[in-house]
Amino acid sequence: MRVRWNKVVPATIAVLMLLAACTPAATQAPAAATQPPAAATEAPMADAMADLIAAAQAEGGLTTIALPHDWCNYGAVIAGFAEKYGIPVNELDPGAGSGEELEAIRANMGNPGPQAPDVVDVGLAFGPTAKDEGLFQPYMVSTWDEIPDGAKDAEGYWYGDYYGVLSLEVNTAEVANVPTEYADLLKPEYNGQIALSGDPLTSNAAILSVWAAGLATGATGVEAAQAGLEFFKQLNEAGNFVPIDGDSRTVGIGETPILIDWSYNSIANDVALAGNPDLETTVPSAGRLAGVYIQAISAYAPHPNAAKLWMEYLYSDEGQLGWASGFCYPIRFNSMVEAGSIPADMLAQLPSTEGAYFPTIDEIDAAKAVITAGWPSVVGVEVLPLP
Amino acid sequence: MGGAQRPPQLHLGNWLGVLPFFLFSGLFLIGPTLILAYRSFEGLQGGLTIDNYRQLASPGVISAYGMSIRISLTTAIIGGLFGFLLAWAVSLGKLPGPFRSGTTTFSGVASNFAGVPLAAAFIFTLGRVGVVTRIVESFGFNPYESGFSLYSFTGLTLVYLFFQIPLMVLVMLPALDGLKQDWREAAEILGATPGQYWRYVALPVLMPSILGTMILLFGNSFGAHATAYALTGGMFNLATLLIGQQISGDVLHNPGLGYAVAMGMVIIMALSILIYSILQRRSERWLG
Amino acid sequence: MTISAAPLPRAAEPPPTGAAAKGSRWPAWIILFVCALYFLLPLAATFYWSLRAEKGTLGFEAYRRLFADTGFLPAFSESIVNAVVAIFLSLLIIVPTAYWVRLRMPKLRPVVEFITLLPFVIPAVVLVFGIIRLYGRPPLLLTTTYESSRVLLVCVYAALSFPYMFRSVDNGLRAMDVRSLTEAALSLGANWVTVLRDVIFPNLRVALLSGALLTFAIVIGEFTIALFMAQHTLGPYMANLTRSKVYEPSAMAIVAFAITWASMGMIAYISRERKHP
Repeated sequence: MRVRWNKVVPATIAVLMLLAACTPAATQAPAAATQPPAAATEAPMADAMADLIAAAQAEGGLTTIALPHDWCNYGAVIAGFAEKYGIPVNELDPGAGSGEELEAIRANMGNPGPQAPDVVDVGLAFGPTAKDEGLFQPYMVSTWDEIPDGAKDAEGYWYGDYYGVLSLEVNTAEVANVPTEYADLLKPEYNGQIALSGDPLTSNAAILSVWAAGLATGATGVEAAQAGLEFFKQLNEAGNFVPIDGDSRTVGIGETPILIDWSYNSIANDVALAGNPDLETTVPSAGRLAGVYIQAISAYAPHPNAAKLWMEYLYSDEGQLGWASGFCYPIRFNSMVEAGSIPADMLAQLPSTEGAYFPTIDEIDAAKAVITAGWPSVVGVEVLPLP
Repeated sequence: MGGAQRPPQLHLGNWLGVLPFFLFSGLFLIGPTLILAYRSFEGLQGGLTIDNYRQLASPGVISAYGMSIRISLTTAIIGGLFGFLLAWAVSLGKLPGPFRSGTTTFSGVASNFAGVPLAAAFIFTLGRVGVVTRIVESFGFNPYESGFSLYSFTGLTLVYLFFQIPLMVLVMLPALDGLKQDWREAAEILGATPGQYWRYVALPVLMPSILGTMILLFGNSFGAHATAYALTGGMFNLATLLIGQQISGDVLHNPGLGYAVAMGMVIIMALSILIYSILQRRSERWLG
Repeated sequence: MTISAAPLPRAAEPPPTGAAAKGSRWPAWIILFVCALYFLLPLAATFYWSLRAEKGTLGFEAYRRLFADTGFLPAFSESIVNAVVAIFLSLLIIVPTAYWVRLRMPKLRPVVEFITLLPFVIPAVVLVFGIIRLYGRPPLLLTTTYESSRVLLVCVYAALSFPYMFRSVDNGLRAMDVRSLTEAALSLGANWVTVLRDVIFPNLRVALLSGALLTFAIVIGEFTIALFMAQHTLGPYMANLTRSKVYEPSAMAIVAFAITWASMGMIAYISRERKHP
């Protein structure tokens, strides 16, 4: 029988696959949209909390993603939560980027298994777009009012968790004269020593670093973004810029002895290295830029109550102090300082954020557009001719 | 013995032999690829659009493809050459037995030594404060001042070869083993020099395998992402890095575009196989 | 009983070829030396840095810190099991396919080769999310438990090994006269299973070894897919242990190298050619 099997068989498999791929997505979306939002509770706090704890424990677990243990001391925070409520925490990729976190939510729609994240911690600019896409479910923690308005969604879909300022992480074994301002970095003595903590097209910290350098020149807003590009062009042409993804390792071995990164990472690295080698963290006064990250609960969380309990924990004094021990500024910092909840020695460890510029989401988006468009031409791939 | 050769027929019985393969790859390779294709049409606001594909024609993306192809060709050819020589050395080159098993095992390990550890190893060696760099500097010659940089096309090629060469070695060894001694002896009896033996006998026989393995090297390099990112911080314009920026990063977030770039890679790979198949058929022609 | 494709039995050591025939093997030695330099220098540099965890001295502090962690053995054994199963799965699928394509359906070759090269052009991140979308929701919900997700993971690993396994096996098949061997076996009354098992497989020993080693390396080192599938294998374990550390990653790289070498040495030893009496 001369059926054209060599065409039919692959085609059939292809069609089946395509059907399987498309259909569930179409049937899942409407279900998610009709999920009623969890109302902010006004019932007696203690009862509501007890109910929440019971419901969370009944769910039996929490799945997190993108929480490195040494980032704002998440290690201690997660352990604290697990111990306090007896809920085991399943940690997905600690190194995931914001894009991957959101993709994980999308791909795991309808999956009750351990691959679906319950909660995410993403960059500020991702909040509105993810909310519009229906990836988050709203929840207002009991300390909601102490979160500054500019750092949360009015309807409770996402909320700032901690912030820090950009700093210079310097390996003092390799660098004799520690730079204190962005302008210093252009000096010839720092030839081949300066790096960003990532690619400005991929890393939140890196793109803010470019912007901060521009702000240091005195420009503001979107012009500062362009100024930042100019600054790095100069840095690159002077040969001071090392075009690799810097981290504690490249700083520690001296390959990129000056790194522009979040102050909390820099200080944490210094502590972890314990003098081998010695690191110094300087926060420039010109162009001091603060960055906020946000928390959110996945709209498809397999353990929604555990997720809500997690949020309650994070925004309680205990959780906030946990982040502070990782040298991050918890979002309730101002209220907590007023209430005297932060121990003096912890306060002393935090770098100064005086005069820091807290950009709004729109400002970040505008600067982002300028920098991402202009960055490839700044660094300008130097393609050495083949020998 | 043997009787008349039954000509291959495309009837159902033959399909049973390859069904497991198609079923398995359908489930785990083609399925995800189809999802990839479907999502490459997704626009930023939801809904379907071909805008992502229009963006493929932008200079940044074309340059990324060009650079990816360029580095893949370079490492495939250089890796192919050195891999072939090393494979020859430990098989037909008659080095002592332990060297062959050592090379085989080492190649197995090195073939997957990639990403951050590999980039780190080369930074330790040839970076600005690398061991070899420091040694060379002690002789008074500063490589970085003379224009060398590990963070360049040359550097990336050098690093990629670390897993390309072992791949070539491992996959070519079975082919080299199949080179029959009798042919060598027959050639010598007929008065051929070693050069002539290689040019007219050995290389033509091996060419299909060499081509096949080099397309493997090409693909391996084409799809490499972790190593490139670890070494260049994403500041090198490669297609895989572009995809990562759109899908995984903290800054840009146009997954549809990322998927479209990935589909572009699939198409380039298909074209490469087409070219390779033509070359392959020519090289097999005289083998009968 | 196996039918060998080797030429008629001759003296144990066939006469050397080429430059070697003249008694000097220096080209081979030079090649080996240059390659050894290229491969060993970066490893030596890594090892050197791994010894610098303690300020001012060279010592094994980084290694001590690594081994203080207790999660290593479970993660390692889990990866080993995954690797072995993936290797067998890959062999069972690829060998018959390569054989069939070569013998019966040469026109299908470009299609098959294209499919086997797909793992290169699908980024790992895209692949894992594609798998989760396909098998992480009704009607094909296979990710509910850790174990079922593990089965999925192993299948994905087998698929990832296809490019290497197929190319090795294809080279191996090309090196033996498949058609004559098959016809000889068939005319002696063997069925297809016997042909594959007793004729083809034994003669593919070197090719299968190469394929197995390459597959093993992939499975042991892989972590993106394992991480998003929430699996506790060696890759994620190592990545987590050395995240943001300065000296431990180098120590980990050396340890991983040594472990993989040992495992592969074992595989090579198990599949060595046994001399028939």
